[in-house]
Order: sequence, then structure tokens, then C-alpha cells
Amino acid sequence: MLSDSSVEAPLWRGVAAFRALTLGYAVVLFATRSDLYARPGLGWVTLAVMAAWTAGWWLLPRRPGVLVVDLALACAAAAMTVVVDTPERIAAGAQTLPVIWPAGAVLAWAVWRGWRGGLAAALVLGTVDALAADRLSGNTLHNNVLVLLLGTIVGYSADLFRTSHLALRAALAAEAATAERERLARDIHDSVLQVLAYVQRRGRELGGESAELGALAGEQEHRLRTLVTSAPASATTGQVDVGSLLMGFGGDRVVVVAPATPVLLPRGDADELTAAVAAAVDNVSRHAGDGARAWLLLEDEGADVTVTIRDDGVGMPDGRLAEAERDGRLGVAQSVRGRVQALGGRVTVASAPGEGTELGLRVPRRVPT
Amino acid sequence: MIRVLVADDHPMWRDAVVRDLEAAGIEVVATAADGGEAVRRAAAVRPDVVVTDLQMPRLDGVEVTRQVVAAQPTTRVLVLSASGEQADVLEAVKAGATGYLVKSASAAELVDAVRRTAEGDPVFTPGLAGLVLGEFRRLAIAPSDPLAPELTDRETEVLRLVATGLSYKQIATRLGISHRTVQNHVQNTLGKLQLHNRVQLVRYAIERGLDHE
Repeated sequence: MLSDSSVEAPLWRGVAAFRALTLGYAVVLFATRSDLYARPGLGWVTLAVMAAWTAGWWLLPRRPGVLVVDLALACAAAAMTVVVDTPERIAAGAQTLPVIWPAGAVLAWAVWRGWRGGLAAALVLGTVDALAADRLSGNTLHNNVLVLLLGTIVGYSADLFRTSHLALRAALAAEAATAERERLARDIHDSVLQVLAYVQRRGRELGGESAELGALAGEQEHRLRTLVTSAPASATTGQVDVGSLLMGFGGDRVVVVAPATPVLLPRGDADELTAAVAAAVDNVSRHAGDGARAWLLLEDEGADVTVTIRDDGVGMPDGRLAEAERDGRLGVAQSVRGRVQALGGRVTVASAPGEGTELGLRVPRRVPT
Repeated sequence: MIRVLVADDHPMWRDAVVRDLEAAGIEVVATAADGGEAVRRAAAVRPDVVVTDLQMPRLDGVEVTRQVVAAQPTTRVLVLSASGEQADVLEAVKAGATGYLVKSASAAELVDAVRRTAEGDPVFTPGLAGLVLGEFRRLAIAPSDPLAPELTDRETEVLRLVATGLSYKQIATRLGISHRTVQNHVQNTLGKLQLHNRVQLVRYAIERGLDHE
């Protein structure tokens, strides 16, 4: 938790300020009635050590060791009351020597380890206080309960602050990345992609080796475009656009068809669906025959998301599909159906000889957990 | 002879398109290097078809489409765009474009698309069918719009078949209807979307107008 110092810096400054102010309060109180104490000289020494630690606190790193020493010093300062003050005053419920200065250590633990840290430090300090006071006078108990509440609440707030700050930072980073991606997309669109598309088109017209070069250019155009347009998972919802994931399948042989608006699914579901589509596309290239083309249609039906994969390959006669599935020869049977069913969806298959094969993948939109 | 205006800010593309069209006997009556020029020249030469890129300086292809169709309802717009500009393609179609072709399409496909556009026959790639399908689904799910157009079951069926790569002829055979009926279904879906877009613009204008009263 000490790793992200920049997030916590303002909190640590607060703790340091609290210490300085409470030190001033303790010094003023002691100075005005030092004659009442049994050993005022020792009292001044204690306050001097407290002052040195308060000043040094600004310079020390926020390491576990430092925080343990901090809490030990706070306890010691409180315990010094027994030596410095008279037993009568202590029994009457007088303030401890450092007054509320030790609460600074509780705050430090609260910032360091959240509400648990604050609570633990307050309990340690409270125990020492109670031992020093011999028995818990009403005043001591009252003060310790306040410190306990303070430590817990500040710790809880520190946790909240940390989480919200990190979320905000992630959101800002995602926003900056999106802006940069859009700028890149505009730049690339106006230059590289135009040329690649042109090479693809002219190459195909020229035929022969030029056509091969053209096809390569077309493939790269597609890759580059997918790269600059695909958006990262939303930092706040964990949902991703299935459309931009499927765009990666597009190319010379595969046409990806999707709505203009993002089709959002929870990250895990989207990845599984994409893997199922990958298996289906792979199946097309292996079984549909040479030169077969495929179309991927993504649709958002609200409660369900569907992907239809159609190829114009050789297709299969009635019954062949079931037969292949029984024999366990079909990639469709295992990879596609298994994955889609794991998402609570289902797969339909239609095919006829010479008419290609059509796979329908339907996946329910689950509420992210 | 079909009279065409070609608008694209890239000279390389503009020249290639012009060359392909002229080689096929189509008359290119004007060219434009940005959106503003396209709108002004279209008003002057009144072409049958405007072939336009989407991303252009000053005025983009969507706005060119809107202004050209508003000024000359007889001029048809064919959008020639790089793939992947889906949202813009959909906007251009809603604004009145009746066809969409990716830039990597072959010269023969381009010439065929221009001819069909000139005849008033919408040029639907699978990509465009998917966009239109998606838009109707979005409108159906969005609860706030009582005037949202809906597709008939047959229209949805036809669009889905177009979106999965079947030709009109294959669709006609599969559904046992005529080629012309398939064309009509496709045209209707586009008409509904464009009408809805105009209604929304008018409604928006009225709301703004009343606010400023």
C-alpha cells in the first residue's frame, strides 16, 4: 500500500500538520502549569523528543519500520506521564503529558493500512494509556474511544480516497489513450490506409504478382485499421465491444458485418464468444473448400447477442453434420458448441450441398458479476 | 449517359475513380477536392450521381449528402469510403445516400454500383445491411421514441441474408420471391430510416425553435 506515494502524499501532509499542531498544544499546556508536575525537567525532555520526531517526520520515508517506531514513541510519550506527573493528578484524571499528540501515530497507521491499521494503532495506544493511568478514569476512557473512532474513520476514508483516486487515474489514462488512438486513426486514415487500399485495388486490376502484392496490402490495411480503431475495455464497467474484437477476423476471405454502435459484453464473455467464432472461422477454412468466403454477422438483440457465420463453400448433405458430430470429427461440435453452451447460449447449424454452411451462435447477455 | 460528380480530397483516388468511370463510358461532369466544393458544383452541374468520400476537409461526406439531397432530390449519392468508418457510413445513409462501396472494391464493382445508383436501386453491401439492421435494433431497444420505424419480419429476413453475403438472386431463390421484390424490401428499409431521420430533424428544429421563442 506504500507503493503509490503520489496518491497518498496529501494524506501524509495532513498527518504531519496534525502532529505539529498537537505538539504546539501540548507544549502550551505544559508550559502554563509545569509547576504542578512532579518532574518538569523530564517533561521538557519528553516534549523535546516529541518535537524532534515531529520535525524529523517530514524527512523520514513512509516505511513500515518508521511507522512502528512512530507508534512506539507515541505510546512512550503517553507512558512518560506516569513518571513526570504526580499520582494524585493522574488519579484525578488529568491530561496525559503529550495530550492528543499520540493520535498522530494512529492517523499515520490509518493512512498506511486503512481502517484496520487505524483501529489496531488506537487499541495499542489505548492499552498503554489505560496501564499508565492505573485504572481507566472516565476521562481517559472517553479520550481513547474518540481516538479509536478517529483512527477507524480516517482509515476508512483513506481507503476510499485511494480507490477512487486510482479509478479516476485509470479513467483519465483510458481517455488519453482513446484520444491518442483517434488522432492516430485520423492521421493513418489520411495517409497510410489510403495508399494501402489503392495498392490493393490497382494490384487486383493488374493481376499476376501485382495481385498478390495487392492482397498483401489489403490484409495489412485491415490489420492496421483494426489496430487503430479497436477500443480498450472500459475502465469503469469492464465491458468490451464484441464488434471490435470480431473485426480482427476480417480480410480477403472473411467479411465482418457489425452495427455502428458498440455491442457490449462483459470481458470474459466477449473473449469466449470470440474464441468460439475463431473456431468456426477456422472450420470454414479447413472444410468449406478452396476459395470459400465467409461472412460474420454480429447482431445485438438486447437480451441476446448473436453471431451468424455463413460460408459459400461446398456445404453438406442432410445428416452429414450429425454424422460428423457423432464421429467427433467436426471442430464445430466441440470448440464452438462447448464454448457457447458454457456462456448459457446455443448453436444452430444449417447446410445444404453446394450452398455452404450457416452457423448461428446465440449468447445471452449476462449481468456482469 | 450517366452524369457523375466525384468528390474526394485525395487526388490519387479522385483520378483513379474518374479514370475507371470514363473508361466504362460514364461521363464525369465535375470533380471536387472538398465538401464545400462538392455541394457548390453539384448545384451548378446537377449530376445524376455524386460519388463522395466521407472524410473530407471543411464539409464531410455526411453533410455533403444531406445538402445535395436537400437541394436536388433527383441527384443520388453513392458513398465510397474506407472500410471501418461504420458510424459515418450509417449517418450518410440516414442523410439520404442510397449506396455504399468500400474503396478497395474493383473498378467493375464501382461502375456497376454507379449504374445501379443512377437507376435508383440502392447499392447494399453486406456491411451496409448490417449497419441498417443494427440501427433498427437500436431504435427498437431505445424506449424513448414512439415514432421509431420498425422492420417487417420479411424485411429483417432479407436484410440478414444480404448481411451474410447472399446476392439478391440467391435471396429470391431461397425465399421463393422475385428479384424485384427483394429489391423493394431493401429499398423500403432504407426509406424508413431516411424518413425517420427527416422527422427527427424537423422535430429537433421545432423543439429548438420553441425554446428560443
